[in-house]
Amino acid sequence: MRILIIEDDQEASAYLAKGLKEAGHTVDQAHNGNDGLFLATTERYDAMIVDRMLPGVDGLTIVQTIRGAGNTTPVLILSALGKVDDRVKGLKAGGDDYLVKPYAFAELLARIEALGRRTSASQPETRLKVEDLEMDLLARTVTRSGRDIDLQPREFRLLEYLLRHAGQVVTRTMLLENVWEYHFDPQTNLIDVHISRLRQKVDKDFDQPLIHTVRGAGYTLRAAR
Amino acid sequence: MPPANLHLPPLLRATTFRLALSYLGIFTVSAVALLALVSWSTSVFIEWQVQETVEAEATGLSEQYRERGIRGLAEVIAGRAGQDLDRRAVYLLSGPGGVRIAGNLYGWPAESIDSAGWIRFSIERMGSEAFGTEVLGRTYVLPDDHQLLVGRSLHEAKRVKLAINRALGWGLALTILLGIIGGYFTSRHLLQRVEAMNRTARRIIGGDMKSRMHLTGARDEFDQLAAGFNEMMDEIERLVESIRTVTDNVAHDLRTPLNRLRSRIDVALLSDEDPASLRRTLEETLAEADEILATFNAILTISSAESGQRLHSFEPLDPARLAEDIAELYEPLAEEKGVALTCHTQGGATVDGDRHLLFQALANMVDNAVKYTPAGGTVAVSVTRQDGDVTITVADSGPGIAADQRARVLERFVRLDATRSTPGNGLGLSLVNAVARLHGATLDMDDNAPGLILSLHFTARA
Repeated sequence: MRILIIEDDQEASAYLAKGLKEAGHTVDQAHNGNDGLFLATTERYDAMIVDRMLPGVDGLTIVQTIRGAGNTTPVLILSALGKVDDRVKGLKAGGDDYLVKPYAFAELLARIEALGRRTSASQPETRLKVEDLEMDLLARTVTRSGRDIDLQPREFRLLEYLLRHAGQVVTRTMLLENVWEYHFDPQTNLIDVHISRLRQKVDKDFDQPLIHTVRGAGYTLRAAR
Repeated sequence: MPPANLHLPPLLRATTFRLALSYLGIFTVSAVALLALVSWSTSVFIEWQVQETVEAEATGLSEQYRERGIRGLAEVIAGRAGQDLDRRAVYLLSGPGGVRIAGNLYGWPAESIDSAGWIRFSIERMGSEAFGTEVLGRTYVLPDDHQLLVGRSLHEAKRVKLAINRALGWGLALTILLGIIGGYFTSRHLLQRVEAMNRTARRIIGGDMKSRMHLTGARDEFDQLAAGFNEMMDEIERLVESIRTVTDNVAHDLRTPLNRLRSRIDVALLSDEDPASLRRTLEETLAEADEILATFNAILTISSAESGQRLHSFEPLDPARLAEDIAELYEPLAEEKGVALTCHTQGGATVDGDRHLLFQALANMVDNAVKYTPAGGTVAVSVTRQDGDVTITVADSGPGIAADQRARVLERFVRLDATRSTPGNGLGLSLVNAVARLHGATLDMDDNAPGLILSLHFTARA
């Protein structure tokens, strides 16, 4: 993906760019709001990472401006302000996701890749499929190799999220926010236990595991390599 | 010590000065008005007295006239005029054509006579002597073209009036003088009290937080102001103290993990470890850093709950839904630990709140309960409703908290000795308490015999 980073902390920006390049993306950087807005409006990107507080034009204004101009490039807003209403403000301004500093790079990478994918698969789907695992979103049934898998409603949503982001890394926080829809800090490895339950049902009786743990980041659902 | 008001800002000095001046002005005007009234009514009273005297005299003379006729009257008048050594009385009896018959006045005055017969005139001379006085008299018309004038000199009355006016003038001057002196001392007294407050304020600004306004015990406005100020300072001092405690605790609690982090990196740098174990060290370091960040986040969440700035993100929430979600989220964890997690809710209730904060609070409650309940135990989450009051309860069968320790666990960073070995930052219940307070709810702790009952009690909205 071609990614634009608008971040005034040059060290943080360089660190981000390095990580994204290592993950195989092309990166442009801007260190103030004016340059950022210029690049955002003149170049085409697959995703943008925008810091909220910038010299010159601030991050939210940039997002509002490009959205006003009809630019739908996914935007991840970075901020040191972590309160819920700040998050709401960021998303209202047109941001697609919001990440609070300090963040884990794995978290940012997972989120930006999820955002980049979102635009390419915007068609409403009724069936999700990875290898022999199939999910029927209308009948709300799951089968693997033709065998029915009985899931609780939450497990169904968890698997659905993994399937929609098949091949991508999803972090524990992304799962909490999107499957449980709460922003909070669990003190324990809650999500791991839920995933392990899901694995029992989806992977246990089959040779090829589909749900994989990505160390230091989260989980990914993909065919075994 | 220099005069107190030298330190005062010019504005304050001007204000006090203007105040004193305007008071003095009002005071003077009212004093002058009062004295003018006294003076006026005195002169009215004196003239009235003169009139009375004249009329009494005339009555006496008219009796003489009735008894002894005009000749007798003339004799009496001549006698009286001769007796009047003070020359206060004025008489004139005239015959036809205005010819003088008797009296000490040698001719009718030119001044006009009013309808009641009163006349006011001045006499320059009486006989050979300079007299120079004003006279108030009354004229009577007698039969056979005779006329009588009886009058009194106003000389004495004038002197009395003058004396009274002089006394009043002195009184006024004295009043104004006393007003100025009194105003000066009063405003100096006020200024000194203001200045005392000013000095205290400067001492506090200078860092002496213990300094307080002096109360005179007079219970006046200044004392009330000072008392209010002192109360405000007590509250500020309490807040500063609590912030200092928190800061000290944060510093202390973060220093330990930061130090651990530092030494881990230090050791890794010194040793010639292979890449694999270096990587493991890095991962441990990262986990350590994440833990520090989690502590920070918890502190920030508590602060944001305590500051009340999240009140505008309040929305009507279904507590049963929150409880069911939290139970569903923790159920696999509990099962893994061999703890039975149950959830019973009474629906239909509504609570106004911040969805994410309340969920965080419930998560902390359930997390604690699951963490401290041994295998085979139970954790029961329930939502009950009574007359609009809602209670969310988390009851466990763990070791519980001794009654005398319950208040302590709500303080930040407090971890009971028995729990030191389990992971945690000592902020869990502080956060629950802060969230409860933000929502106007109370957090209660009870004995589950064995175990702990934690309940969040929301009172019905008025």
